[in-house]
Amino acid sequence: METQQEIIKVQKLVKRYGDFTAVDGSEFSVHNGEVFGLLGPNGAGKTTTLEMLVGLRKPDEGTAIVGGFDITKELDKVKEVIGVQLQSTTLFELLTVDEILHLYGSFYREHISIPELIDDMLLTEKKNSRIKGLSGGQKQRLAIALALVHDPQIIFLDEPTTGLDPQARRTLWDIILRLKERGKTVVLTTHYMDEAHVLCDRIAIMDQGKLIALDTPSELVRNLQSDSAVEFKFNDEVDLALAEIDGVKQVGSQKDVHVLYTDDLQRTLTSLIAIASEKQLKLVDLQTRTATLEDVFIHMTGRRLREG
Amino acid sequence: MRSYYLLTLAQLRIFLRNRQVLFWTLAFPIVLMVMLGSFLGNGNGVSITAAVVDQDKSEQSKNLVKEMEKNEAVSLEKSSNEKDVLDQLKQGDLTLVITIPKGYGENLAAGNRADPFKLPVYYNETNMAMSQVGLQLVDNAVDTISKKSVSYEPVVITESKGVEALNLRYIDFLVPGIVAMMIMSNNMNGVAGQISSWRERGILRRMQGTTLKASTFIAAQITARFMLNGLQAMIVLAVAWAAFGIEVRGSWLTVIAFVTLGTLAFMAIGFIIAGIAKTPESAGPIAGFLSFPMLFLGGVFFPIRDMPEFLQPFVQILPIAHLSHALRETMNVGASFLDLGMEAMILGGWLIGAFIVASFTFKWE
Repeated sequence: METQQEIIKVQKLVKRYGDFTAVDGSEFSVHNGEVFGLLGPNGAGKTTTLEMLVGLRKPDEGTAIVGGFDITKELDKVKEVIGVQLQSTTLFELLTVDEILHLYGSFYREHISIPELIDDMLLTEKKNSRIKGLSGGQKQRLAIALALVHDPQIIFLDEPTTGLDPQARRTLWDIILRLKERGKTVVLTTHYMDEAHVLCDRIAIMDQGKLIALDTPSELVRNLQSDSAVEFKFNDEVDLALAEIDGVKQVGSQKDVHVLYTDDLQRTLTSLIAIASEKQLKLVDLQTRTATLEDVFIHMTGRRLREG
Repeated sequence: MRSYYLLTLAQLRIFLRNRQVLFWTLAFPIVLMVMLGSFLGNGNGVSITAAVVDQDKSEQSKNLVKEMEKNEAVSLEKSSNEKDVLDQLKQGDLTLVITIPKGYGENLAAGNRADPFKLPVYYNETNMAMSQVGLQLVDNAVDTISKKSVSYEPVVITESKGVEALNLRYIDFLVPGIVAMMIMSNNMNGVAGQISSWRERGILRRMQGTTLKASTFIAAQITARFMLNGLQAMIVLAVAWAAFGIEVRGSWLTVIAFVTLGTLAFMAIGFIIAGIAKTPESAGPIAGFLSFPMLFLGGVFFPIRDMPEFLQPFVQILPIAHLSHALRETMNVGASFLDLGMEAMILGGWLIGAFIVASFTFKWE
């Protein structure tokens, strides 16, 4: 693990749209064979970063080396070693699964066996169906199949599970983990915490165009320095110094929902209930849980990943 | 090379599987052609229905009826009841009624030159124009008979000659125009709509993420559309042949050459529109803005010389004007490709100019 080979090296990437800076000097590396997650709320610059890496957008400043090639100078070579699944892509709806895979296969110098790829992506039954009639999960698996058709080293997946039902998401997770077993490097964006936790070896958290943290999921949670979170609401608006409750290390409050982070769940809970009784406040929706990546995000940005 | 072949095949499959588009892009020109062709197709077809009442029933009267029947412009019906046919004349069902009274044959045989036999011809004054034409035709027939009876030798005769030495009807004019119209709307409007919608839906972006070259993509588009156009043009020509007996008098190669040139020129314009249009919804109106003036001014339905003088210079540079003219010359007159060098050059100019502009305005996303 010590001598990990850098397969992607991002160097101070900047992308501006008018006055708005979508990506503001991102710098990170992706190791060969890992699943790397770009995590952040909508508009954080995840997709823009990914699209610059695959050559769909030109960076205003900085560059990146992908699979040994510079994205600003050797884009054609980059495209040969990467596979891309884009957010909200539609395909030629009147073609069949088999036809479009052969078509995309022909865009590259070589491609892998299409029937095997169809089997791998669990699309065997839909082989001769038109794309129009596929379900959301099937379409997404087809999009990943298209990314794999030329057997690339690095695979970019932009929000692969957004909009899918839980079962379809799990199927897709299995597929991504299988890719990792085969030694592929996967870079994916997501705003689902559980997904990042299950899939990713390392996670880069982005917010407002900036990279604000980069580590393994467990290390990110550990840095929160708290094991547990207590989440609740009060019935009425109250002005209460929550940080003074026993055992509380950090307070994350958002609108009317309060989150207390603590290492000593029992002491904090007892103290909270005592204070609430004393001041005659009613606690609503009280729950306790182990701290997660979601909490890391709230802690770092003061906001939730997905609003509302 | 394989990607070129598969992309062409994919585009053809998309065409063939989109039955509705396929049907309506073909139904529109055919219905338009059949409709306009049936209403106006026979051009100067003034038809006159006349009735003849032969009361004489002699050799000479039969000769006169035969002479009148020779003229194709008159449909002649024979009747024995003069009163009946005069009633029909009053109602406007007949244009003329000619009565050959008893004694016509005898009188003619006697050959009384001083007092020519008077043949009563009835007409309805409310329909003067038609009646005049009909009277003229009857006069001709009668004139021929009287000339024959006196063995008249003409000193001067007229010989009518069409300049094109062809008998051209409106439908002959229309069919090449319809083919030109179809090429224009399928390519210009079709490319503009399809490409801008593929762009909007991210189809082009996804392909941009592969090693596919834009030139391969465009070449495949051109090939597939050319094949589809060729097929549709053949179907329209086949219907024209079956319904109206329209033939291609010139070389098929010349027709194919102009169908190709037209396809390419209008596709290039379509690519420009696709580049300019921000959304697929705006591509339609932009294409319509260009295609409607071309339909009405470009010599599709009406000859360009009928256009007002001040529009002439404008009309003369429209690509459709040259496409429809070239197709017309080939199909109607049988002009060769070399005779149509000017048209080929102007279309070629449009093609090159439009592709240059398109290469600057084209966007993958």
